[in-house]
Amino acid sequence: MAYEEVKIKTPLVIKILSAASIVTFFGGWELIVDLGIVPSTMLAAPSTVFKLFVVKLTDPNPDGALLQTHAWISIQEAGIGYLLSLLIGIPLGLFMGWFTVVRGIFRPLFEIIRPIPPIAWIPLCIFWFGIELWGKVFIIWIGGVVPCVINAWTGVNMTNPTLIQMARTYGASDWQIFRKLCIPSALPMVFGALQITLAICWTNLVAAELLAADSGLGFLITMGRRLALPEMVVLGMVTVGVAGALIGVAIDALEKRLLAGIRR
Amino acid sequence: MFKAFGKVLRNEFSLYVISFFCFLLLWDWVAKEQILGRSLAPPLDVLKELHRLTTVKLAGKDLFGHIWDSTRRVFIGFAIAAVFAVPLGLLMALNRYINALVKPVFDIFKPMPPIAWISIAILWFGIEEASKIFIIVIGAFIPCLLNAYNGVRLIEPELYDVIRMLGGTRRAEIFYVSFPAAFPAIFSGLQISLSIAWTCVLAAELVSSRSGLGWIIIQGMRLTRPDLVIGGMAIIALVAWLTTLLISGLERLICPWKRGIKEGYL
Repeated sequence: MAYEEVKIKTPLVIKILSAASIVTFFGGWELIVDLGIVPSTMLAAPSTVFKLFVVKLTDPNPDGALLQTHAWISIQEAGIGYLLSLLIGIPLGLFMGWFTVVRGIFRPLFEIIRPIPPIAWIPLCIFWFGIELWGKVFIIWIGGVVPCVINAWTGVNMTNPTLIQMARTYGASDWQIFRKLCIPSALPMVFGALQITLAICWTNLVAAELLAADSGLGFLITMGRRLALPEMVVLGMVTVGVAGALIGVAIDALEKRLLAGIRR
Repeated sequence: MFKAFGKVLRNEFSLYVISFFCFLLLWDWVAKEQILGRSLAPPLDVLKELHRLTTVKLAGKDLFGHIWDSTRRVFIGFAIAAVFAVPLGLLMALNRYINALVKPVFDIFKPMPPIAWISIAILWFGIEEASKIFIIVIGAFIPCLLNAYNGVRLIEPELYDVIRMLGGTRRAEIFYVSFPAAFPAIFSGLQISLSIAWTCVLAAELVSSRSGLGWIIIQGMRLTRPDLVIGGMAIIALVAWLTTLLISGLERLICPWKRGIKEGYL
């Protein structure tokens, strides 16, 4: 940028309003449960949830595993599915963007798979893989591969045509253009896919575990409902949210480091 | 002869056809040879099953009844989410006090997958319509709000400068710059919301329901009838795709000024 960025200080009122909003949210939540406006069989107060959080760190009852075990199992499943969708989706998308033959072969299959919500695969997965790890990995993979392919493909398509023509004029082969022009110009889009894919993978993981699992955070939520323990449901939801947000921050940091030389 | 053949193999569209038929043949072969056990139905069986469902009633409704049930849930939930989320997102982007009030709470809910809400929705609303619609509203709300918000915030400041130079008031800024410039972003938010709404309705119906396309799939799973499962998946894909087309048609009608970065794939 040509001009220096001006730092604008946030006015005090805004900061106070933000803090007040958070406090009101948690305070209101605590109050409506404590005062009995909402029965405690339907919603747990934040304090109850926190107590259960402390207990669940050391006590595997009543759902059979510690909170960190559930979280670790979920992260493993999501991680394997995520990596597999990146490993397959990104190269596939890049090749589909540049090579007509690859596009001709894979596009129909891709267009068939794309509109099917990944969750719809769950029953077939249970038939094929049972409720073990690989069934969930398959669901996460099939959901995650779609944004990877789309982003990589769009990235290649957005390569500046002038550069391609210039490379052709200088006698570059198809493969050289692909490697030296298309891939670098697709990189920002590809890195954009990292975040989108992660969010989709995490959602699908929860869905897969709600239906078929014997451990994991989604299973914790389901058990909370079956045992009519709203604090367990809320604890599961919060853990899913926090874990998802933390992984998102980690990927963001990684992306910034990897892309340090590419974006501006 | 060989040259002509090679040309066909290099043409994109003939490859589409070849690939599609190879896929069907492979599917048929795998299903007939029972490589995956009895868990895959050949494509023709799926079609037959779907045809049978249009005449035979399953839980009191034929196929169209189930399609309508799911679609209705999606549209009700989607409409509620859009009606509240888009104005809220616009307000947040235009007024920093509202932003300061709503954003922190919204940021707490943002990373939570909508599907994680299913259990609490069932605790709150039972397994009737309300809980399904609640999930869809939650799922569709976030992308609607985020896109409306970012759509206004990412407007080039030069556009505002222009309207200020022409002596425009704050009101004119909002109506002649903010809204029209944010429209494409709002519509892409609606598209994302719609696909999330389909995912949510499916998840809700898989967990607990008595009708709808998700119910057909889960019924197929309970009865170990892969033809029913795959048929349900195909119909969902088809209906979800059609509703997406509807939104993009609406977009072309309402905001023809959308700058197509790349008309075509996305």
